[in-house]
Amino acid sequence: MKTTGDDTLLRLVMEDTSVVQNGAQLGLQGGPAPNVKPNEENNTKAQYSIPGILHFIQHEWARFELERSQWEVDRAELQARIAFLQGERKGQENLKSDLVRRIKMLEYALKQERAKFHKLKYGVELQQGDMKPPQLDDSNIDTQLDSDQSYTSVTKATWKQGRQLLRQYLQEIGYTDRIIDVRSNRVRTLLGLNNNAEQDENVTSGQVNGNESNKRASETQGRRTPAKKTQPSCLTEAMMFDTEAAVMANLDFLSSADVDMEDDDDMSDDVELEATDELEDDVKAIKRRGKIDNMGDDVDAEAMEVLNELNLLSETENQHQDMKDAGDWKGLNFQSGGPGRRPLALNDDENIDTGLGLGELAQLTVNNDAETSYDISSSKEAFRKTWGAKYTLRSHFDGVRALCFHPTEPVLITASEDHTLKLWNLQKTVPAKKSASLDVEPLYTFRSHNGPVLCLAISGSGEHCYSGGLDGKIHCWTVPNSNIDPYDLFEPDVLNATLQGHTDSVWGLAELHSQQKLLSCAADGTVKLWAPHSKMPLLNTFTSDQDGIPSSVDFVRDEGNRIVAAYNSSNCIIFDTETAKPLVRLDSGVNNKQINRVVCHPTLSLTITAHEDRHIRYWDNNTGKMVHSMVAHLDAVTSLAVDPNGLYLLSGSHDCSIRLWNLDNKTCVQEITAHRKKFDESILDVAFHPSRPYIASAGADGLAKVFV
Amino acid sequence: MNVYFNVKVTNVKRDSLVKMKMADGPVILRRNRPGTKAKDFCRWPDEAFEEMDSTLAVQQYIQQLIRRDPANIDLILKMPDAQDEGVWKYEHLRQFCMELNGLAVRLQNECHPETCIQMTATEQWIFLCAAHKTPKECPAIDYTRHTLDGAACLLNSNKYFPSRVSIKESSVAKLGSVCRRVYRIFSHAYFHHRSIFDEFENETYLCRRFTQFVTKYNLMSKDNLIVPIWEEENAPGESEA
Repeated sequence: MKTTGDDTLLRLVMEDTSVVQNGAQLGLQGGPAPNVKPNEENNTKAQYSIPGILHFIQHEWARFELERSQWEVDRAELQARIAFLQGERKGQENLKSDLVRRIKMLEYALKQERAKFHKLKYGVELQQGDMKPPQLDDSNIDTQLDSDQSYTSVTKATWKQGRQLLRQYLQEIGYTDRIIDVRSNRVRTLLGLNNNAEQDENVTSGQVNGNESNKRASETQGRRTPAKKTQPSCLTEAMMFDTEAAVMANLDFLSSADVDMEDDDDMSDDVELEATDELEDDVKAIKRRGKIDNMGDDVDAEAMEVLNELNLLSETENQHQDMKDAGDWKGLNFQSGGPGRRPLALNDDENIDTGLGLGELAQLTVNNDAETSYDISSSKEAFRKTWGAKYTLRSHFDGVRALCFHPTEPVLITASEDHTLKLWNLQKTVPAKKSASLDVEPLYTFRSHNGPVLCLAISGSGEHCYSGGLDGKIHCWTVPNSNIDPYDLFEPDVLNATLQGHTDSVWGLAELHSQQKLLSCAADGTVKLWAPHSKMPLLNTFTSDQDGIPSSVDFVRDEGNRIVAAYNSSNCIIFDTETAKPLVRLDSGVNNKQINRVVCHPTLSLTITAHEDRHIRYWDNNTGKMVHSMVAHLDAVTSLAVDPNGLYLLSGSHDCSIRLWNLDNKTCVQEITAHRKKFDESILDVAFHPSRPYIASAGADGLAKVFV
Repeated sequence: MNVYFNVKVTNVKRDSLVKMKMADGPVILRRNRPGTKAKDFCRWPDEAFEEMDSTLAVQQYIQQLIRRDPANIDLILKMPDAQDEGVWKYEHLRQFCMELNGLAVRLQNECHPETCIQMTATEQWIFLCAAHKTPKECPAIDYTRHTLDGAACLLNSNKYFPSRVSIKESSVAKLGSVCRRVYRIFSHAYFHHRSIFDEFENETYLCRRFTQFVTKYNLMSKDNLIVPIWEEENAPGESEA
């Protein structure tokens, strides 16, 4: 608090003046003394008269008093200087810890990028010394995972308290303002915003304009600043200045990088969504790589140096500080993804920091947050998993109608309008030259359909797969080994059997793993149940004349002897597999809401339908009542998949996007734009891997994409 | 033509019914919804090439022409104005390779590794399969499969054909070798599995279209076009046109 300091000085000056007054009084008192003197001069051989002695003593006393007060002033001055230096040191350390953190993060990002680059280029993991994320990062993520709101707010509160305390101490010493001035100036210098001349001007003008009543104080400060510039007084200070200089050399780059990072953060939500959009993706990848390259060239060596130096300095004290900061980050990151996160973060920091006048520093912290949230969103241990495109499966000449994953291996099969099915092993990727997504080459091409292949199912063991085509045939294939040579010899027995029975295009297939039964529906109006590997494969046929043509089928997963068939009249019927009698009718009551896909929940008694009218509807299997209905997409919903645990629903639509839904509260968790349009079709199928964290989408643009 | 017109009208009706609720007026949605009968597959009113705003417009346009009349090769190969020729050739070749799958499926039933141990057409050449690190003498059916698989990989390669809207000149140069290789499938079928070839050709006119395509765009030398289909079909072809 300023006034305190001024008061002290003022008081000292008052004392001074009072001393002077005393002196004057003495002078006045002494005034009559000369009058007395001549009288006494005569008879005083002993020249010491009582008044003279008194006068002398008084004079001496006044002199001592004066000196003492001067010392007092000096002492106060020195104390102020100490306080100032301490405060400055604190500020430097804060800044330094910020920079260290920043460097560590950048270094880690660089390492990761290098590893990725190396992996992409040579196909093997790069052996790097320490591929661990920076320590504080680790703890940050770990604690973040199991932190909850209250905890975060508590840490934030303690952090705030700490700052308040610090401020109080500074106030007690009484040098806050000057410290603030100088600190903010220094920060500005560090950030390269002002040149030195301007800064000096600022300092002096600040003092001139400031309401400093004590001239001496301002003098000392004026004296001090330049002195300090030229001659660091002690060793630590010298070191600090060295590091400062080194940091300053990099800071221009750093701050420009920050701006980029900030942009990234602003866009991050979008970017996540658009990551699948190749153009965006490429641009971003290039941008990022450019940035990393720059860093690698310009800063790496220097950064290492600085880092070492700074580590020495910061190790002890900063650990505490880092912990606090980590807490702060945590608080902010926790809100990441939520709307208005940025403003909130800014406000928080402003509240805390403007008090200390660390405008720029506050921004630095915000940037840090931007970085970490960026890092975390890309890391797999994020609080909420976000899916991003990883593999692009390009080899089909026309739209991919269906896809399914192998039950255990990272393998999938796609079926296309180009008359073929293809087998893909996600572990056999082609090194892509630029984009973030990897290309996969197909291992095997299944040829036997005489026309577009429309639907696909795989057996529970992954040994067989089944495909239905426009030619009305259902082929049973033996899935080749997932390590097969793509250009191996032809083996006719890959085609295991062909199920003949449908007289028109087969549009839907479903497999019941436990009983090795296959369900199909076709445009001839029938739904058929097969035992594909027996001599008499056809088990039963189901029809519903009043409902027209079935468009999709599924087994009622929680009751093995029931199936559900969706009709293009917008109704679903649950049949009994033994009697072929309709049991329950899921009636939407309105016509012309063609159902494009029906799936049953793996554990609940729930059926979900995807409609041409953009809706997804939920049905109770027992009552046949509609449980929930929602507009899910901007265009017709074409495909559905429920994750193996029954928690999430994946939907694809002709609006070019796939959406992930939380089945619990029926809210959209993520949307990914995945495919382009061909005519008025876009996404034709989606799938969850039954045991691994993969999702996939198949598009009319001839591509299939796998997201991780 | 008459039949086609009828189909067109019914399609418009059906589509407009579905679409009515979602948009004003009868907007045509060109979709194959689940449950579509085989005969209705892709049977929607033609869309003018200028109105196709998709990145796959060229493919759409080519497929639309083929569906309308596979025999009208001149029209199918007539490039729209202001169309990038590289893309035009590329999309046509994609379509050829895709339709060749149909021939490969038929060959699978008859062309066995035991009978056709080498890829030959006339006795003059034995073709070596380029899909392997060192070209080798694959049986004809493997040659066929490998060539089609290889072509699918090349034509979909992110490296050479990252975009279907514009194609680098150096990548366009690769089309010639793909043409040369896939043509051998025609020639093998013609000389060794004539019945399959004829049946397929009568349905799709693929070899004739292919021959005209590579001739028009100078993708293969005339000496290599050994299937005498052109002379044979010339007379009826003219009368048809």
